[in-house]
Amino acid sequence: MTDLLQLLFAGISQGALYGLLAIGFVAVFTVSGVINLAQGEFAALAGLVAISASASGLPLVVAVALSLLVVLAVSLTMERLTVRQVPGLTTLQSIILTLGVSTALKAVMLIGWGPDAAGLAPITAGTIEVAGVSIRSQELWILGIAVALTLLIQWFYQSTAVGQSLRACADQPIAARLVGISRSRATLLSFAIAGLVGAVVGVLASPISLSAWDSGLTLGLKAFVAATLGGLVSVRGALLGGVVLGVLESLTAGYLDSGFRDAVAFLLLILVLGIRARGGFTVAGGARV
Amino acid sequence: MRNLRATAMTFLPAAVTALLLTSCAESTGASGQSSQAPAGDGPIRIGAVLDITGAGAALGVAERKTLEMLAEETNADGGINGREVELIVEDNQSTEAAAATAITKLINEDNVDIVIGASRTGPSLAMRPIAESAQVPMISLAANADIIDGSEWVFKTTHSDRLVLERMVEEIDARGWETIGLALDASGFGEGVEAYIQELAAPRGIEVVASEKFAPDATDFTAQMVNLRQAGADVNIIWGIPPAAALAQQAYRRLGLEAPVMHSFGIGSQVFLDTAGPSAEGVLAALPKLLVVEQLPEDDPSKEVIMEFIAQYSAAYDGEKPNNFAGIAFDAYKIATAGLEEVGTDKAALRDYIENVEGLHGVNGTFNITPQDHAGLAKEDLQLVTVEGGTWKLAEG
Repeated sequence: MTDLLQLLFAGISQGALYGLLAIGFVAVFTVSGVINLAQGEFAALAGLVAISASASGLPLVVAVALSLLVVLAVSLTMERLTVRQVPGLTTLQSIILTLGVSTALKAVMLIGWGPDAAGLAPITAGTIEVAGVSIRSQELWILGIAVALTLLIQWFYQSTAVGQSLRACADQPIAARLVGISRSRATLLSFAIAGLVGAVVGVLASPISLSAWDSGLTLGLKAFVAATLGGLVSVRGALLGGVVLGVLESLTAGYLDSGFRDAVAFLLLILVLGIRARGGFTVAGGARV
Repeated sequence: MRNLRATAMTFLPAAVTALLLTSCAESTGASGQSSQAPAGDGPIRIGAVLDITGAGAALGVAERKTLEMLAEETNADGGINGREVELIVEDNQSTEAAAATAITKLINEDNVDIVIGASRTGPSLAMRPIAESAQVPMISLAANADIIDGSEWVFKTTHSDRLVLERMVEEIDARGWETIGLALDASGFGEGVEAYIQELAAPRGIEVVASEKFAPDATDFTAQMVNLRQAGADVNIIWGIPPAAALAQQAYRRLGLEAPVMHSFGIGSQVFLDTAGPSAEGVLAALPKLLVVEQLPEDDPSKEVIMEFIAQYSAAYDGEKPNNFAGIAFDAYKIATAGLEEVGTDKAALRDYIENVEGLHGVNGTFNITPQDHAGLAKEDLQLVTVEGGTWKLAEG
């Protein structure tokens, strides 16, 4: 029983990271139809910047804030220099384009930070034990921040004028343009959201799973699967998809064979795409950002 | 018979003229010093295929730095028998396919005299058949014994994983531990490890009671460690490379496993200590001597070579300490250049020379290469090491 709880908890906290990063995929895809394969690199970059900043003597809060700003700048620059430059960008083209950006970002990180992984200091150190289950306090922060940020983003989409204009772009692009919503500005804004959640995931994950120039690859891939589980159009679905993926991975590794762990994500992806083109956690209807 | 002689008589002058012509043509381009080498002229080309980017970057970058430093040194000293060394480094991006492409390019386009690499097992295995069929000597920097098993042209300068495992199982036996739990890297690095441990353990009455796997880029090790905890073996072996090995070690301590833990030689770098932090205290590993060289007795045959290498590397790279992988590249370069100096660039002669290297003191130990053993290192070249107070310490026994 203790083992089961331990596996479940590990799956949920890992899955929350997948899910949070998945929100970045959703934010960008719903507005512009772009699948941003550099989403994982946002997380890796944030971790590395925060580690360097904190190693240079800055307090953790300042280092984290700095890393969020850097990644935000990178994501906005990326949108202006690449996505914006291609008129009528299709989803397939966007995959190729953002793959290029992802490769370039990885190369920059490899040159800038070298090949070795490093970890950021946790928000609070230490582990607690509940019913035999060992819990790192950083994992509690991850869960708390993931839920809070998801709610915040949802509130933004539903209750603010800017958020509603983003939803309008996603739902009815032509009508949105007719009432004067700029799709270009909406896309830029969606990249800002993607950059910020990516950066948050990066600094949250770094203390427990380290940051390196290539740590965005697997994380981004899993997050994409999580986003797909949520139908690629739902913020809540993305978080839920992440948690489901994390838990399934953890249970598969624990009870079936630890060698199968990474296969779970792709099996799920095939299943979801095969069975329900609209994804697991959405009901029929329009875009549900 | 007469025919043959006649052919030879007409062929010989032509061949001599041709040889003279080519050597004249080349010597104008070369340094102009008279060459002692029995064959060829112009620069000596050493090709290197390294895992500079991708999963093996932690290995390949240090190896490239070492080779570049050494080639520069050789050339500053006037080259090998007056011939300049031209080092051509290719990045295989840590993939098998790129490694195969790179060695093909080095052999066919660059006409290299010898190939060093790759950094890891998978790419090295992909290169082996190409080196064999082109009959070009190759010195791999990777661990798996399959790279050199039955090879003719392929050598390596690392301890075979089997040698390390023998050392580990002997130690387990000596300490009276009877059950082993395993957590193995699921890539080429961990391939065959479980089978070989079982082969070694069974005759000693030691039993493998759990076997877990992890991807080299895994970040969560809860499941593996929960299962090892459940199995409750006397000793657990984590066989991986940082950062995975470090994260696994953290999970090991965090989930309250109390049995002693042994690691592979993949953790032999500062980055393991940095990333594993306090959780690394007390781990055991059979590692090359580089990490604990200051603690070795003065009469250790490798001590002087290692100290000199560390000094040279630190001087060349702003005080940076070389890691194990740098040492592996150092040995490969030394063996290659010893052969090139002695027999020149005739590939068959070079191969024969390397196959008979004897008593060469390198960073990884003393090389006694034979036709049966293309690595030539002994168990005694490994040191049982532990971590104490955040640094490597010689372990007793």
